[in-house]
Amino acid sequence: MNLKLVAKILCKAGLYGFIGFVATFSLYMFNGENKLIYYVVRPLLNKHYDAQVRDRRIV
Amino acid sequence: MGKLIDFIDDKLKVFDPIWMAENGKGGQRTRYYDRTGVAKWREWRGTKDTLYDYSRWLMNLGAMGLMVAKNPVAVMKGFWEYRWMGSFLGTFMFIDRLFEGYRGWELRVAHMQMFGIVCALTGRIGMTLASDRRLGASDKKANRFIPFDEVIPPLFTTGFPDLVAFPMQTLPEFIICDVDQHIEPYYIDVAESFGLPADVCSRCAAETGVALDDAFPLVGKVLISTNMPCNASEATSMFQRRRVGLPDYAATFAMIHNDEETALPYSSQIMKEMIAFIEEHYDTKWNWKAFFKAAKNMNEQNTYELEKWDYMKTGYTSEVGISETLYKLFEWQATNGTDPRFTKIDRKVMKILRKNYEDRYEPFGGKTRHRAFLWGPSAVYYTDFPTWCQNAWGVAIVLNMDSTMGFNMISTDDPEQAIIDLTRLEQKATMRHMAVGGWDNINAVWEWAHNFNCDMVMMNDNIACKGMLGIHSIMEEQARDLGFHFIFIEHDLEDSRTVSRQNMRDCVNQYMSIVLGEEPLDPTIITFDDSDAY
Amino acid sequence: MKDLKHLIFFENLLQEAHNELVQKACEEGKRCLGYNCYYIPEVLLNLDGCFSTRLRAPRCTSPDVATYYMTGRTCPYVRSILERAIEGGYNHLSALFGSESCAAMERMEEHFYLLRPVKNDDFFVTIIDPPMKGDKTSLDYYKVQLQKHLMGPLKNVFGVDTSDEALRRAIERFNKVCRVITEIGELRKLDNPPITGYEFHVIQLVSEVCPHELILPYLEETLAELKKRKPDPEFPFRARVVLAGSEIDDPEFTKLIEMCGAMVVADRYCFGSMPSREEIEIADGEDAFTAICRHYLHWNQCARFMDGLKIDQRHDELKRLVKEYKADGIIYENMKFCEFWSYEKVLASHIMIEENDIPCATIEKEYALGSVGQLRTRFQAFVESLEIKKINAEGGV
Repeated sequence: MNLKLVAKILCKAGLYGFIGFVATFSLYMFNGENKLIYYVVRPLLNKHYDAQVRDRRIV
Repeated sequence: MGKLIDFIDDKLKVFDPIWMAENGKGGQRTRYYDRTGVAKWREWRGTKDTLYDYSRWLMNLGAMGLMVAKNPVAVMKGFWEYRWMGSFLGTFMFIDRLFEGYRGWELRVAHMQMFGIVCALTGRIGMTLASDRRLGASDKKANRFIPFDEVIPPLFTTGFPDLVAFPMQTLPEFIICDVDQHIEPYYIDVAESFGLPADVCSRCAAETGVALDDAFPLVGKVLISTNMPCNASEATSMFQRRRVGLPDYAATFAMIHNDEETALPYSSQIMKEMIAFIEEHYDTKWNWKAFFKAAKNMNEQNTYELEKWDYMKTGYTSEVGISETLYKLFEWQATNGTDPRFTKIDRKVMKILRKNYEDRYEPFGGKTRHRAFLWGPSAVYYTDFPTWCQNAWGVAIVLNMDSTMGFNMISTDDPEQAIIDLTRLEQKATMRHMAVGGWDNINAVWEWAHNFNCDMVMMNDNIACKGMLGIHSIMEEQARDLGFHFIFIEHDLEDSRTVSRQNMRDCVNQYMSIVLGEEPLDPTIITFDDSDAY
Repeated sequence: MKDLKHLIFFENLLQEAHNELVQKACEEGKRCLGYNCYYIPEVLLNLDGCFSTRLRAPRCTSPDVATYYMTGRTCPYVRSILERAIEGGYNHLSALFGSESCAAMERMEEHFYLLRPVKNDDFFVTIIDPPMKGDKTSLDYYKVQLQKHLMGPLKNVFGVDTSDEALRRAIERFNKVCRVITEIGELRKLDNPPITGYEFHVIQLVSEVCPHELILPYLEETLAELKKRKPDPEFPFRARVVLAGSEIDDPEFTKLIEMCGAMVVADRYCFGSMPSREEIEIADGEDAFTAICRHYLHWNQCARFMDGLKIDQRHDELKRLVKEYKADGIIYENMKFCEFWSYEKVLASHIMIEENDIPCATIEKEYALGSVGQLRTRFQAFVESLEIKKINAEGGV
């Protein structure tokens, strides 16, 4: 019973691990995070930065 | 397993940019979208190296995730408040650029060192933002910090174990300019909008811009400025002290001369006054025990550094190019004995380097054609320039000027001697003992190049660096007399709009093709547009 | 106004470094000692048997060889000095006492020993590391630097008497020159001065480039003449300005400003008289060398000083000059590629305009006056704005 449970947990962990690996490796290999940052996140952030009113002075 | 890996490598080698370049099927640039610097896919380095690179990517991702998890609100506020924080998102692309073409041991050493930097930096960012008055932190938190100019060795702060070293320009300027070539031009424009001429050093103009744009984190009770390393740096301090508005101490060390009778005693006195100033304002006492402990760390790091140099002189080493430079720069400028993590990394790296030498390991598949010493302040918007030199022309940047700083040992039992040693460390700070500080400091490049068995000297030609421009042709004449290949790499330090990365590449391209008549290793990276890349 | 008797003679003395009086002093066996910056105390170069000359490169419009050595992106003043040296214009110098006042200046001075352009067997160069604060530690360092790189070589190489008595004698002679120049300069405080800014600039310059002993009689005579000189019935200028900035050793620049309608009533720039013509006082119990170092560190207004007190001092000094010389505004000049004054003019003009309500114009210039059209337009506009301000202050039209 215990062995079965352990095997089941291991299988599940292996499966999740494998899915995790495939997902993250795909993200890595296809440069997914950088594409997201470059084409989506930074343009949005830059829009926000450009709209900021900064306290710009020598003092 | 080995056979399986060989099988996969054989099948996927067509995606390996090095194989592609060797076989006329493309090269590193093939996998990029034009202009952006965004790769369609990451570099295939063979199964083992790709998996290793992937595992390090995961670890870096984890370190960044940890930073957010520890201080979620402060980090988000930081992203919202500071334009320079947005640029840190380019870190992954930055690391990919730096280590393009790296394989085997050089890839491992590079990543081990980079992980140290990423961990230290994310920790620093998180802690700083969580203590930033501007973002709502209490005075109690903010007042633990000692803001000081980035060119003062942080080792001096270890005498105050309850306080946190904060090299002030590091986050908004000194490091982030390496990651994103478009960030500092924004701050330069801010400074110039107040009438600052465009011909001053762009690094200092950017620092001024950060101050005027009110973009320094607000931490600490005092500000320690310094005259190091150059005129523009001195001048920008005037704006920083006004804008930051904290009691300030100008640590004006000896600018030229390193002699024992005049310069050293004076600078030691400045060091003592600086410490006394902190004691007074933070109502605390300098702790020699804590300082000596950190000094031991520093000494161990420097011992390793000197040993590394011995291997680097032979060429049988995986401590190469920009990986070596960035690590040394960060280790000195931001860590400087204050973080034992770096000593641990050094120990691991040393084991690899010793083995490399025993095995007569040649990095980059032994394709190095020239060994170059890179002198002068480097263009920070093109940090991966040494990587490009190696991949494009087989020119190994054996050592960068910045790597030659601060390698003296610190006394760990004699307070008086320790202050003198600390002062010597300052005299060997960034630029101070290479690009400024008198002719002998610059003239030393030939000896360095000779000792490291280089046949080439690349001279960074920062178009606004008055100290280096002032000896322009003397250096060229010296190179001719001494028989070195010599290339001026024109750049504008932090402003890629003035001299683009391609302009810099062209300086090398022209020399290599016209003067030396050589063919590139990878023709796809000789001329390309990366003007929109981070 | 009637022309000054010696003005043309003075103008001629400024045409080249090796002028008539310098030649005469050299023929008398005196050693000619060059320097570039206020950080090198002029008085120390005027010990017995020596005389000082602050290096200028008059009429140097095209420093081609120096540009080859130092690129066209460095200070045109230092390039011009190097060019003049390479041309052989300073072969009369026995030594150059340099100062790392800025990187460009230091590099130029280094070329004096790297290229050895001065064809004089005795010639040598030393460079001091000048302090950047006004406190005691800085004073001590200043003394040590001057002792090692100036007093030592003077004594050991040329056998100059550097004793306390000799220094006191030098101070006495130096103070004489200062008194005369200061007295002349103070005439500019008058509502309708009997001297123009241009004339004063010429007088101040000859006092810096010629042997004091030989120029002093002419200066004294000029002072006497000025005391009797009748100014024009009405003040001929539309405004009064203080000129502040870096190396301005061309009186034609002052003339240009004055031709645009603004009299330069105070000269707070390198080569100007503020500072440089303050008398040196020796405190009770103080040795002469310490007094000299203290004096120079105190009066030095260089834009490279970093500590708050010295930064405030140089701005307060400007305010004082505006008040005492009844100036309507300040013109801040910086030499192209000068890092210090590029920053200083941004900060100082902000402080003057925003915090003290003193109008400022900031300009950038080359060493040699070439095309002056743009500058003329700027000055004319500034003068006009000062006039409008005055009219508004008087209740408008």
